[in-house]
Amino acid sequence: MDTKPLTPESSARHTFRFEGSAGEYFKIWIVNLALSVVTLGIFSARAKVRSKRYLYGNTFIGAHAFDYHAQPLRILLGRAIAVTLILIYSLTLVFAKQFIGLLYLIFGIALPWLAMSSLRFSARNTSYRNIGFDFEGDYGGAFAAYILWQGLAAITLFIAFPFAHRARDYYTINNHCFGSMPFSAEIPVGELYLIYLAGLGAFLSFIVGGALLGLGFSWLTLRPVLSTVTAVEIPAYVLGFLTAASFVGARTLDLALNNTRLGKAFWFESRLSGLRMAWIVTSNLVVSLVTLGLLYPWARVRRARYMASCISVVGPAELDISQAAIPAGGSAVGEEIAGFFDVDFGL
Amino acid sequence: MTANGALLTEAAARDVRISSRLGVLSRKLEFPGGGLFETRDNDGVDALLEGRSSVLARMEGSWRLTLASLAVVVAGVAWLGYYGVPTGAHWLAMRTPPAVARVITAETLAAMDNRVLLPTHLPAARQSDILGRFQRVARWQPDSRRYLLLFRNAPDIGPNAFALPDGRVVITDQLAEMSRNDEELDGVFAHEMSHVIHAHGLQSVYQASLVPAAIAFVTGDASQAGHIATILPGILLQAAYSRGFEQQADDDANAELRAHGEDPGRLANLLERMEQATCTKGVCLPSWLGSHPQTVARALRLRHGLTH
Repeated sequence: MDTKPLTPESSARHTFRFEGSAGEYFKIWIVNLALSVVTLGIFSARAKVRSKRYLYGNTFIGAHAFDYHAQPLRILLGRAIAVTLILIYSLTLVFAKQFIGLLYLIFGIALPWLAMSSLRFSARNTSYRNIGFDFEGDYGGAFAAYILWQGLAAITLFIAFPFAHRARDYYTINNHCFGSMPFSAEIPVGELYLIYLAGLGAFLSFIVGGALLGLGFSWLTLRPVLSTVTAVEIPAYVLGFLTAASFVGARTLDLALNNTRLGKAFWFESRLSGLRMAWIVTSNLVVSLVTLGLLYPWARVRRARYMASCISVVGPAELDISQAAIPAGGSAVGEEIAGFFDVDFGL
Repeated sequence: MTANGALLTEAAARDVRISSRLGVLSRKLEFPGGGLFETRDNDGVDALLEGRSSVLARMEGSWRLTLASLAVVVAGVAWLGYYGVPTGAHWLAMRTPPAVARVITAETLAAMDNRVLLPTHLPAARQSDILGRFQRVARWQPDSRRYLLLFRNAPDIGPNAFALPDGRVVITDQLAEMSRNDEELDGVFAHEMSHVIHAHGLQSVYQASLVPAAIAFVTGDASQAGHIATILPGILLQAAYSRGFEQQADDDANAELRAHGEDPGRLANLLERMEQATCTKGVCLPSWLGSHPQTVARALRLRHGLTH
């Protein structure tokens, strides 16, 4: 970190803030959901834009919030393609299993392109203080990050998985830029290994704990052992997976952020807690399920508020981003409108 | 546009692009020359628009319309769960060509044979007795020639019988050995043939793909938690649909047995023994996951007729 051009006195920490309210978000969410249901899902693309705009628009750094300005039609197009692919996949699985190998091959070729397009779409439709984000990753990079590294991880029985994780992070982070300022990350893979080991430990402790609980319960109530243990193991498995996944997700994001710089003058600081995040995600899910989804907006706002409060941008005291602005007539970066093939494939 | 009384820029109202109102978010007014004006005075901007403000934003701002939306969502989801998905699956299943049903049947059998389904150990004489009963029950059905009986030894599955989409019915040696008289098996066959007639197997296949697709498409949440949140309602819904199929097959068998002067109570006896046999081995699923209606209730319905 000897390249940091700033003396401590002249730098300042600008922490993210999430100012959305659960009540307001609930109203937006339910009205748009109702319209989606009535239109059999067609409106859901616009609902996604409204929802994302609300969440981004309430995420502040200093006095300014982010902006999301995607065209719902592009999202609808992306969804139509995604749903068609899923339909083809499940129909092939049922009716023509002999072609499944061919289908995997086609998906293997298509997946990097889908990932690349989605990242570019999201980036180009996000801005801060009217300066746009962009994503410049290419197909080859996506193929390496999503197919080759994942394949290598699978061949090594997931021992190489943290390397694959880092490859994906590098592809997504290092190809993003804000105006003319590029993001760059340098992630120590040893720490990724520790995070994944901790996650695995958390998952296994849920499984073992569930088995012991089931055994004890069947011993106390004289119920059949196998069915009692199964009854306890299923929720233990779900909870364990959720806890481990959100723990690993939060810790790896934290690690990536703490090792990411933006341009020459800015870098990120994060103090996301894996345990706190696991608690928030798990309790959010339980609360959402118990209230039949009604408190889902509250849960989402709660998560966004916690995450924002943990992440800061460190840089010049005056959050001067004018250097990010693209000089008139300069590079094509970020200025062009999302191209024809920039569609959002996320459901 | 003015600031401190000084005119900054001027443009015709129709040339200014104004972002739509969303909660308390600030509004952006984009001027033709590239100028951008941001304000949190949402009411002021709406006044400028003179009633051209978005209907959506007004809906999102009203608690009354929010409650109406909630009612619409609940009604929509209930309609989809109770009617939309089952009707869609039924429509598709009834229009699936028989060739496809044959392919699925072949695939299913290929996946199970020599793994959980082993060659039968039943003596030939016993097999031909059971086959005779099967053919008799098949003759009660409209398209009796589509039904084919397969004998399999299935120590892992235990006493059971199941129908495959093209009309093949598998009976395990364990069930054949458990039946105390062959009239019990008549009930089993009538039950399985009802599954074939209503294409319950195909319907399950379609439901299994329609339920998650419907949830994901409507809610638009693709996060990890979102995935997990859709799994549980999906499983419960599938179990409920499957219980409906079992009841329909039971009712059909019940009516047929009575019409041919047989006692459906015998099928009830067999069901009870089947449950006992599987559960004492400790392999019965927890009841909250069970797809078969409580055996007690099924037996009662069979013994006392459909009105019960």
